[in-house]
Amino acid sequence: MSADERALAVEPSLTTAWGRTRLGAFLSQPISWVFLVVGGIIAFLSLYPTFFLFYGSLTDAPLGVPGHFTLQNYVKAYSDPEAYPLLLNSFIFGLGASGLSLVFALTLAWITIRTNAPFRRLFELTAIIPNILPPILVSISWVMLLNPSNGLINALFVKILGLEKGPFNIYSMPGLIFVESLILTPLAFLIVAAALKSMDPSLEESAKTLGSNEFGVMRRVTFPLIRPAILAAGTLNFVRAVESFDTPAIIALPARIEVFTTKIWREALGSFPTNHNLAAAYGVGILAVALVFVYLYRRFTSQVENFSTVTGKGFRPHQIDLGGWRYAATSVALLLLILLVVLPILVLLLVALLPYYHVPTWQTWQRLTLDHFRYVWATPRVHKAFINSLFLALVGATVCMILASLASYITVRTKIAARGVIEGLVFIPWAFPGTAMALGLLWAYVDFPIPIYATIWIILIAYVTRFLPYGLRAVSSTIIQVHKELEEASIVCGAGFMTTFRRVLMPMMRPGVMAGWIILVTIFLREFSATLFLYSPGSEPLGPLLYFLYLDGMRGRVAAIGLVISVISVILIAIAQRYSRWESK
Amino acid sequence: MLKQTYFLSALFAAMILSAGPLYSQSASLIAAGKKEGKAVVYGSLESDTAETAFNAFKKKTGIEVDYWRASATKVMDRALSEYRAGKPLFDIILTNDNPMQIMFKEGLFAKYDSPSAKDFTKESIDPNLGPRYRNVVIGVVYNKDVIKPADAPKSLEDLVKPQYRGKLVMPDPTQHTTTTQWVASLDKLMGKEKADKFIRDLAAQKPILVESLLPAAERVATGETPIAITYVKYVYIFGQRGAPLDYLRLGKFMGDGHYLSLNSKAPHGNAGKVFIDYFLGAENMGMIAKLGEFVNRKGVYPPLPDADKIQFVEMYDLDSKKFAEKKKEYQQIFLH
Repeated sequence: MSADERALAVEPSLTTAWGRTRLGAFLSQPISWVFLVVGGIIAFLSLYPTFFLFYGSLTDAPLGVPGHFTLQNYVKAYSDPEAYPLLLNSFIFGLGASGLSLVFALTLAWITIRTNAPFRRLFELTAIIPNILPPILVSISWVMLLNPSNGLINALFVKILGLEKGPFNIYSMPGLIFVESLILTPLAFLIVAAALKSMDPSLEESAKTLGSNEFGVMRRVTFPLIRPAILAAGTLNFVRAVESFDTPAIIALPARIEVFTTKIWREALGSFPTNHNLAAAYGVGILAVALVFVYLYRRFTSQVENFSTVTGKGFRPHQIDLGGWRYAATSVALLLLILLVVLPILVLLLVALLPYYHVPTWQTWQRLTLDHFRYVWATPRVHKAFINSLFLALVGATVCMILASLASYITVRTKIAARGVIEGLVFIPWAFPGTAMALGLLWAYVDFPIPIYATIWIILIAYVTRFLPYGLRAVSSTIIQVHKELEEASIVCGAGFMTTFRRVLMPMMRPGVMAGWIILVTIFLREFSATLFLYSPGSEPLGPLLYFLYLDGMRGRVAAIGLVISVISVILIAIAQRYSRWESK
Repeated sequence: MLKQTYFLSALFAAMILSAGPLYSQSASLIAAGKKEGKAVVYGSLESDTAETAFNAFKKKTGIEVDYWRASATKVMDRALSEYRAGKPLFDIILTNDNPMQIMFKEGLFAKYDSPSAKDFTKESIDPNLGPRYRNVVIGVVYNKDVIKPADAPKSLEDLVKPQYRGKLVMPDPTQHTTTTQWVASLDKLMGKEKADKFIRDLAAQKPILVESLLPAAERVATGETPIAITYVKYVYIFGQRGAPLDYLRLGKFMGDGHYLSLNSKAPHGNAGKVFIDYFLGAENMGMIAKLGEFVNRKGVYPPLPDADKIQFVEMYDLDSKKFAEKKKEYQQIFLH
């Protein structure tokens, strides 16, 4: 053996030894074990059902039936020249809705968190209500308000101003963007409000000391500091709008505006029989777009130290005294609240109190009935659904936020090489259209060795799998703001990882964690697309019940249940918000 | 007199003897079903109608029904997925013709000749699926407060007259499967040439397109759009709540049939059979007809004016290739 050969022979063993040393060092860190456990759980939750969808996109037969490998689903999905103008429509719709929702959310969050505007606490509490209502109900409410033929607002304008026809037409691209943005605003509000709550005011105070006015502070200090939260909310809302089907089905279809999801529906999910293979191929495309956005988001927030604003010093969020302008701020917030909450809820109340919905006349008041609320009160099926949903919402959101907090810590705080993979994994199930993912979950768990299919636990797993990105985004935007000095101090004082995480980081991340928890509770209380395929008749939650009643044309009952859910959610949100305030500590 | 008494006694004895085996079979089946505890039904029958039927069934037999309700396509998706995975949790599938035929071809159903089937007409019995217990009838519905009956269209052809332009709502035939089928079957009512022209003229009227038949009916009930192509039964269902709806008396109406079948691997097979017997029986058929359903029993009609004059024409069964072709064709006609 030559010297060179000997060197070559030695090198692998050296590499192996070095590798072993590195592995040993890696495993000696408690955080590495946390990474392995959390990463393992997320990888399983995400990849197991996704595998079935990927597999489905590459085969020519439905799952469970022997098929052949094919790329035909991709060819069919992406070779149609008509698909690309629709992608542009979807892009305009997504960008418009997400942008407008950010404007609404930022305005509302700034007024409620950072100013002394009267009634700001009430606004903060109620801003989340639209997230509780099924999006389809919000869209229908706005059709009842703004349709060109007999929409209530249009009818009012015609009557008061003597116009020939109403000034608004919901069946248009601006109408579509407007309604979707209202649906998306609560999510953006929660994320941005959490970031504003967690911000150290000393930076803003320094800027003021150096002569900057309130507007300058807002533009140069506040806004850049909450940029990660804005980007997080924007990213989530963009993808959520692009993949939404309910609003386009109700508003875009009569307006003859086609978006990408309506095409997916026509070609795959709404075809007969459903072409799941094609739907999965479309899903993979949406997944690719979503992952690009995750990457962009990570790039935007890569300089995390720049955003660290929560340090070891105690503080309260900086509150701006608006003087006489505080009433103007209240008016703006009130106007937004009227759009977001008051008008849709009033329409729902009307629907819930009428035997069937019609444009109100004087005779309407004689027809008002409490029958739909009596149904809610007297039907055991409804009571059971409430109990199931409350269990799923409270336990599911808590499990999800624990997992999201640990995953967020790993992706934002550690230097573990594969930390970015966790974030990618979290987003995979979210990127598939709801119905396609529901099928993936059904395929994955129907034959699972542990008999959880058709029990409430399978729904819990589905919720955590599908909605983890919401929790992750909410908590990540807060953890970015927490300066490392706090955990370093804890570690120097001898605390281990879990103690530091529990006693230092969790309290600091509390606004983000609670914001995420609230988002998830409100979504879980009404979720149906994933639930529909997984629940058994004995474990029916509210989402499918609402869906069936809607399917059967019982809008009054749907509205009545929707209103009761809203009241329960407001109580839960009020409790959660109490725990999310810094001043409550 | 004595002869007459003997004759009547003999007749009575013959009736008892012939009914005896049937009765005891039913009783033993009910006992076996009770032992299984419940029947699990996956279906697209509307919740209120289903609940009425299930409650009466429970009262009669003591057997519970667990119902999973979804659209016909979703019912098929879930049933097929469970069946292919070897874990079907359902005993009965209860939905439209087309998905039932697909599931039959996949081997989902067991052959069960229910004694209740004998009361259905020969024409309404499918060799694979048994009796078509109800028809879902599609017609033209209008709001009497917005359009006076005298000004309402009188026929399908009237819908394409200029005065009704922009006043019609219908499900998008490029997306909604039943509507694709309805448009594709129009030649059954008016012949191919007339139907082709009618479809083009209908599209030229720029009807407002919605996702399915229910939103179309709701728009008419609220008065947002005065005329709709939708299920005729909504006239009765929304009318019960006070909506001023009526329908055009077209004579012939197209629609789809509904069936129910027993799972070949039913976890509660006996309870499933008892359920089928009851569901197809006279008591249940009469009950669901009162709720607005067009059941396939002679002389039993929903409480809808002139329901007895409706001549039902079954739409074409389209396979997946034909559906895709038709949807593409209607995309050119309705959306361009």
